[in-house]
Amino acid sequence: MGQKTPQIYSVELNGAKDMKQTDKGDDKDKYRGLWSTCLELRKNHHKEHVTKEIDLGLSSTQAAELLARDGPNALSPPQETPEIIKFLKQMVGGFSILLWVGAILCWIAYGIQFSNDKSSSLDNVYLGTVLALVVILTGIFAYYQEAKSTNIMASFSKMIPQQALVIRDSEKKIIPAEQLVVGDIVEIKGGDQIPADIRLLFAQGCKVDNSSLTGESEPQPRSCEFTHDNPLETKNIGFYSTTCLEGTATGMVINTGDRTIIGHIASLASGVGNEKTPIATEIEHFVHIVAGVAISIGVLFFIIAVSMKYRVLDSIIFLIGIIVANVPEGLLATVTVTLSLTAKRMAKKNCLVKNLEAVETLGSTSIICSDKTGTLTQNRMTVAHLWFDNQIFMADTSEDHFKQTFDQSSGTWASLSKIITLCNRAEFRPGQERVPIMKRVVVGDASETALLKFSEVVLGDVMEIRKRNHKVAEIPFNSTNKFQLSIHKTDDPTDKRFLMVMKGAPEKILEKCSTIMVNGQEQPLDQSTAEAFYTAYMELGGLGERVLGFCHLYLSADEFPETYSFDVDAMNFPMSNLCFVGLLSMIDPPRSTVPDAITKCRSAGIKVIMVTGDHPITAKAIAKSVGIISANSETVEDIAKRLNIAVEQVNKQDAKAVVVTGMELKDMSEDQLDEVLTSYPEIVFARTSPQQKLIIVEGCQRQDAVVAVTGDGVNDSPALKKADIGIAMGIAGSDAAKNAADMVLLDDNFASIVTGVEEGRLIFDNLKKTIAYTLTKNIAELCPFLIYIIVGVPLPLGTITILFIDLGTDIVPSIALAYEKAESDIMNRKPRHKKKDRLVNKPLAVYSYLHIGLMQSLGAFLVYFTVYAQEGFRPSTLINLRVEWEKDFVNNLEDSYGQEWTRYQRKYLEWTGYTAFFIGIMIQQIADLIIRKTRKNSIFQQGLFRNKVIWVGIASQIIIALILSYGLGSITALNFTMLRPQYWFVAVPHAFLIWVYDEVRKLFIRLYPGSWWDKNMYY
Amino acid sequence: MAALHEKKSCSQRMEEFQRYCWNPDTGQMLGRTLSRWVWISLYYVAFYVVMTGLFALCIYSLMCTLDPYTPDYQDRLKSPGVTLRPDVYGEKGLDISYNVSDSRTWTNLVHTLHDFLEGYSPAAQEDNINCTSNKVFIQESFGAPNHTKFSCKFTADMLQNCSGLQDPNFGFEEGKPCFIIKMNRIVRFLPSNTTAPRVDCAFLDQPKDIQPLQVEYYPPNGTFSLHYFPYYGNKAQPHYSNPLVAAKLLNVPGNTEVVIVCKILAEHVTYDNPHDPFEGKVEFKLKIEN
Repeated sequence: MGQKTPQIYSVELNGAKDMKQTDKGDDKDKYRGLWSTCLELRKNHHKEHVTKEIDLGLSSTQAAELLARDGPNALSPPQETPEIIKFLKQMVGGFSILLWVGAILCWIAYGIQFSNDKSSSLDNVYLGTVLALVVILTGIFAYYQEAKSTNIMASFSKMIPQQALVIRDSEKKIIPAEQLVVGDIVEIKGGDQIPADIRLLFAQGCKVDNSSLTGESEPQPRSCEFTHDNPLETKNIGFYSTTCLEGTATGMVINTGDRTIIGHIASLASGVGNEKTPIATEIEHFVHIVAGVAISIGVLFFIIAVSMKYRVLDSIIFLIGIIVANVPEGLLATVTVTLSLTAKRMAKKNCLVKNLEAVETLGSTSIICSDKTGTLTQNRMTVAHLWFDNQIFMADTSEDHFKQTFDQSSGTWASLSKIITLCNRAEFRPGQERVPIMKRVVVGDASETALLKFSEVVLGDVMEIRKRNHKVAEIPFNSTNKFQLSIHKTDDPTDKRFLMVMKGAPEKILEKCSTIMVNGQEQPLDQSTAEAFYTAYMELGGLGERVLGFCHLYLSADEFPETYSFDVDAMNFPMSNLCFVGLLSMIDPPRSTVPDAITKCRSAGIKVIMVTGDHPITAKAIAKSVGIISANSETVEDIAKRLNIAVEQVNKQDAKAVVVTGMELKDMSEDQLDEVLTSYPEIVFARTSPQQKLIIVEGCQRQDAVVAVTGDGVNDSPALKKADIGIAMGIAGSDAAKNAADMVLLDDNFASIVTGVEEGRLIFDNLKKTIAYTLTKNIAELCPFLIYIIVGVPLPLGTITILFIDLGTDIVPSIALAYEKAESDIMNRKPRHKKKDRLVNKPLAVYSYLHIGLMQSLGAFLVYFTVYAQEGFRPSTLINLRVEWEKDFVNNLEDSYGQEWTRYQRKYLEWTGYTAFFIGIMIQQIADLIIRKTRKNSIFQQGLFRNKVIWVGIASQIIIALILSYGLGSITALNFTMLRPQYWFVAVPHAFLIWVYDEVRKLFIRLYPGSWWDKNMYY
Repeated sequence: MAALHEKKSCSQRMEEFQRYCWNPDTGQMLGRTLSRWVWISLYYVAFYVVMTGLFALCIYSLMCTLDPYTPDYQDRLKSPGVTLRPDVYGEKGLDISYNVSDSRTWTNLVHTLHDFLEGYSPAAQEDNINCTSNKVFIQESFGAPNHTKFSCKFTADMLQNCSGLQDPNFGFEEGKPCFIIKMNRIVRFLPSNTTAPRVDCAFLDQPKDIQPLQVEYYPPNGTFSLHYFPYYGNKAQPHYSNPLVAAKLLNVPGNTEVVIVCKILAEHVTYDNPHDPFEGKVEFKLKIEN
């Protein structure tokens, strides 16, 4: 792995230098291909040639040929594992292997028995078949579950087919983008998605948003100039899946489908291996424990049996029996059901889980690397602050209610609001009158949208206001003059003056002003007001907000009569001595649920790291406002500023927070990154390229952390894949990201991750309970066999009966434990340590096997002995009776009263014994189920009736047992007989004993935390 | 990636294991210090002693509830099983075959019968009383010595020709063998109230080409006298011995395998349980070679 990863960074977008350095290995050819295509195109296509092609385009036949050669212009979906492989994987994963071994051993056992004695019972064959069936059925079930979640994913990728305007046969045609071929001439305009990698031949004011590629949403100008050798840097190439923001362009398709840059990145993601999920590791560990116990007990008793002079053949059969009795057949299905129940629950809370095992991974997450835009923030610019009359006013930035509470009585506000309304080109799409203002679709860029919505909320119908103030001239915003200007007739019919309104970069606006409006009165702009302006500007800028200045000027009616014709090119109007009105700052505000979620994460011991392509100041401001950097922690720079010393002099240990930029990250070695990650609890990575995300994720994983990564772009997919759990955004996320992720956040909301974490932790706890519950009765199933071998009593519990416990009475209860509520606030404890906090730890196994399991066995044996004694065989008679008992030709075996029994009469009694033992276990499993509701709290603290499903489980146990004993009592193949009603209650005192013992255990754990008892008894 | 870093070499693993077995820094063996081991062992010893004690108590109280003379339930023993002597088992059930002319093939069978009848010698039956009533022998009180009940004598000589006294070879050498049929004991079981239970032997699926089986029963009529019933259990009747019926088969066809079934005919004895071939009847294959 370590050798391969650098290749992923080779799509580093910051410069050709990087590219050449890292461009080694397998990917070399791909890029060379890309390069040469570009360069070739540059050289070969002479201008006139190209012009001709623009007019003509490809002919349909040419296009068809090329389409046949190159295939459709679409990203091929990631290599799907064949369904059959997926299916087989379910059949051999983890537990299944153990069960297969069990099944095969059963058949071998029968083979041995059969070769020995032709009339041997078919029990072992049944058992083996049932085991095999269990594996197959649970495999099918797990496969079905997986397939279901995959299907949900598939629905995402069905997007509206993209269209492209192409010139073919010298005609403009609209064709599906999939049919584009190399050499096609396509036309794009603002708002379009670029349908393939194209080389621009003609462009007018064209700007593209490359965020899906680079993660940076800054608009980038595009022209037909060749400016750089690196295709990623040059201005004359537009990339597949990026969007054209404004302007128009015509270009020639140079790459289609997987050969596009985005196609390369997507294919790189598939090169990053998937880590094994923590729960898979835990289950494997559990299988090891169970197998270890089974095999060691099996071998131990093999030796005992041999030394007790049993025949070796019999001993081998015992060995197999013991191993089989130890396998919890039903657990595989239970775990799958439990996980899928939680997955369903999480889906309701907007976390869609693709891989069932990822459910738990989220719970063990210790670091979340989160995106900023859209995940932590609302992903829309919103007016946050206003400054006028020498005062900063706050605006409401929450998602829904948009009540502005600042002082609107001032005359300055009247002017400012007019500028905001008029100097704005954004418009609502028509037909949205019923839609809440904040949700309406707007045509225009982010800041103008923010201003439009802001003014619509505050002032009412903006379009009406604009209509009344007819626009006579306009200079749109551009990056050279950095302002926007428009001239309007006023709505006051008596006032014949034109109103010139202007907004733009505050310092540029201020330059043009000579007066400032305070409380509705124009005042000369003096030194002190200018200073006040700069203070406010710096303050707002320091909050990471985008600040705009606003000014206006009433043009005198004498100089500019109503008929005056304004010429925006000649600028025949004054551009100085305007009146400064105010500042307004905007930010993409954090989602209102996020700060709370971050606090929860922090108390849950989860480190939240922000990784963003945004400016460090903005990043830091957002981090502060959501709590990623908590209120009282400072960065080194903050401390330096506060103490007024140089940054180098600051003791780094004083700083809790750090903001690392992509540039700094680039120069860091692995060790330095590790140091940053370990020494600061609050970290923000700003200006990072999405590829650096991968470095950060790996850094976190080196700290043994379970890392969750959020992402939406195609470029995030390697990081999503690398992460222990990749979380893609459901709304903003690209398909590639969703494909690479393990989980999809349907509402793009960070807070949903936290609920996911909670569910994940709960499921881990509850799986522990389920496993403890399941393991307990393994001993009660095993003991009969051991006693049978050593003491020689008639077999107390048949193998078929064991299956009825494992796959019958115990299934619903163990699933019911998944519905158990958390014992304490699970969000207040540290995430579990991957290697220390195991699902099945020593205390769990020891307590289940040696304490409760043993008590259960004794209880079940009591029922068994009671049944035999009341039928005439006292326990003393039973000892060493095995050989005689099992002889088919002994038909007058004497019991304790001198009565004589035929073989069949004994057999029937033996089955009654099985049933009795079964009922004994079942009754005590009810107690076991109740005690497993909690691990530390008293049952009475947890509430006996809060989890209704537990009672469904108990009812199912009893009903199944009743059916088996009374309903199927006459079917001898199942070895169940009618059991006298009183025997159902023999084990009840033992069940209570189990409950009391466990309550005592929990009491001591609560009383003496950290004590010897706690360490040995808390699982 | 983390998983790769975890890969340990074999020697490392061994070292770790050794450290687990004995950690000189902390004085821990197998993860615990000696005193911890003592503590945990003490806990387990205590726990298991208490659990065993509780279990013993449970068993003890179970024993106290049991009636020493009669089991609480006899639902599995509604009808007695029947056994046969000599008892030689083949692949499926009783399978007896011998060659009349070869004494080695039947001496073992004869020997079995002798051994079996040893328990019915007058010496062995000394403690039992002579009964002649041929009626059900109800004893509510413990009239016999040592707080027991009386048992009726059954001596081998009651089997007359099949007692082994007159004919020590039980008719095997002449192809007319004796078989002894015994009914299993069941406490307080009465095969019938008035008529004595009777043994009836016949070919199973009477073959057409041979005559019906002719049998000579001892005691005469092949009855178990009713005074041997009911049985009061081995505590009340320590010397009780089951009454027997001997069946001397007179016309077994030679050199063919026949299946013979001996049923007990009595009011309360059933022989039609499809699962239990030994309930109220006994089947056996017989092949006599000349």
